[in-house]
Amino acid sequence: MIYLSTTDLIISAALVLVAGAVSLIMKLGLERRLLIASVRTVLQLFILGYSLKIIFGLDSPWVLLPLALFMVGAAARAAIKRSTYTFKGVTGLSFLTLAACGTITTFTVTGAVLKVDPWYSLPHVIPFLGMILGNSLTGISLAVDSILESLKEKSNIIEMELSLGATRWEAARDVLAQGIRRGMIPTINSMVVAGIVFIPGMMTGQVLAGVNPVEAAKYQIVVMFMLTAATASGCIVIALLTYKTLFNANHQLELTKILKQKA
Amino acid sequence: MNERSRATGFPVILRLTDLAVGFGTMRLFEGLNLALAKGEFVGVRGPSGCGKSTFLRTVSRLENPLAGNVIFEEPYTTQASSHIPSYRRRAIYVQQIPVLTENTIEENLRRPFSYKTACGDFPARRAGELLELLFVGQERITQAARSLSEGQKQRVCLIRALLLQPEILLLDEPTSALDEKATAAVEDVLLMEREKRKMSALIISHDAAQAERLCDRIIDLTPLLVAKEGPQ
Repeated sequence: MIYLSTTDLIISAALVLVAGAVSLIMKLGLERRLLIASVRTVLQLFILGYSLKIIFGLDSPWVLLPLALFMVGAAARAAIKRSTYTFKGVTGLSFLTLAACGTITTFTVTGAVLKVDPWYSLPHVIPFLGMILGNSLTGISLAVDSILESLKEKSNIIEMELSLGATRWEAARDVLAQGIRRGMIPTINSMVVAGIVFIPGMMTGQVLAGVNPVEAAKYQIVVMFMLTAATASGCIVIALLTYKTLFNANHQLELTKILKQKA
Repeated sequence: MNERSRATGFPVILRLTDLAVGFGTMRLFEGLNLALAKGEFVGVRGPSGCGKSTFLRTVSRLENPLAGNVIFEEPYTTQASSHIPSYRRRAIYVQQIPVLTENTIEENLRRPFSYKTACGDFPARRAGELLELLFVGQERITQAARSLSEGQKQRVCLIRALLLQPEILLLDEPTSALDEKATAAVEDVLLMEREKRKMSALIISHDAAQAERLCDRIIDLTPLLVAKEGPQ
């Protein structure tokens, strides 16, 4: 592995300085934002690096639990933050979905595939959980956004179907399927082009760290499958929970529960 | 229940008891009692905004009654949630603004036959007949629904409901977008369905003459509103 010195980091920062200079010359007005973003990147990643160094040293399941809860909580909030529409309790449902799908997928991979010992090994569990939550939250966000928007736009069609004798499931099915598809698209796209258009992040990291590229590819395959499973299950679970919340037992669409998200 | 309507001599099929209609805590009117007999057409009138459409939506159980009951009589007597879709299949609500999907007319007409509650296959011949009778034209069945005028869409929505052979139609201004000729055709088809199958209907219509022509009796929601508001 090639270790980086402070000078190396400064040289890479010079690349951003070039972008800043171009922005100044072309009057793009991006230099302030570039500066803030660069400083944030340095601070956030150093804090993350040092935190992980300390956390990985504390090899205990009691450290894993609050950390995982914090990560799931932050992901749940981020997942629904940018939706156009929302409904009461959506953050809780998003939390439940990410907690269930994230935990099951992470421990399936670390336990059954990588056979990590002990099961709570922080250097393994935390990065995998992080990757899963990052991908799932994007999927969940897209799925919820699509479902709520469609329910608002197509409420007249859904009520027409209900009035002709459709069950709530029959009336909601198309909207839910469309939402799940929308949530899955980025993950499926990245699977399709992986290795052709780009070298996936984890594989790049391992190759740079000196791992045999074939072994790195195997790891990446496991990661891609894991992310797909987690995103698919996340999208399906959040779609079903949304359906259960917005369609009541009397086979009615409770449209008043869908609210416009505050800017 | 073997009670028979005094007007038609046929058994009561739908009973509304002390019905209160509205949204959340806002009551539009309350205390409505009605026994609709098999084969009976009842008109519903009241001032604009009094809640006539909400009343029909409540009867179809798209909205919950704020008080009272909507009881579909035997052999379907049940208030269980799981029976609501099959109740709605038998008492179909046709809203004033026609709602069709972006598919063809045929796909729109076939769609309800894919539901769990549907009985039998899509009656293609009957669909063609009704499209002719209501001046939409059988040959247009493969065209996109969006190619229709508002009035034609309104008639296609009515045909879609009639093909399911409902026991009750809940009609909200069924001819509001139609000319005189098409209105007469719709009225003829409705009366024919009553004659043939003893279909019942609750009909909202701003056209007093039409209500007179079609309905056995008319219920007025105004007294219920006045009663709710109390003496001035």
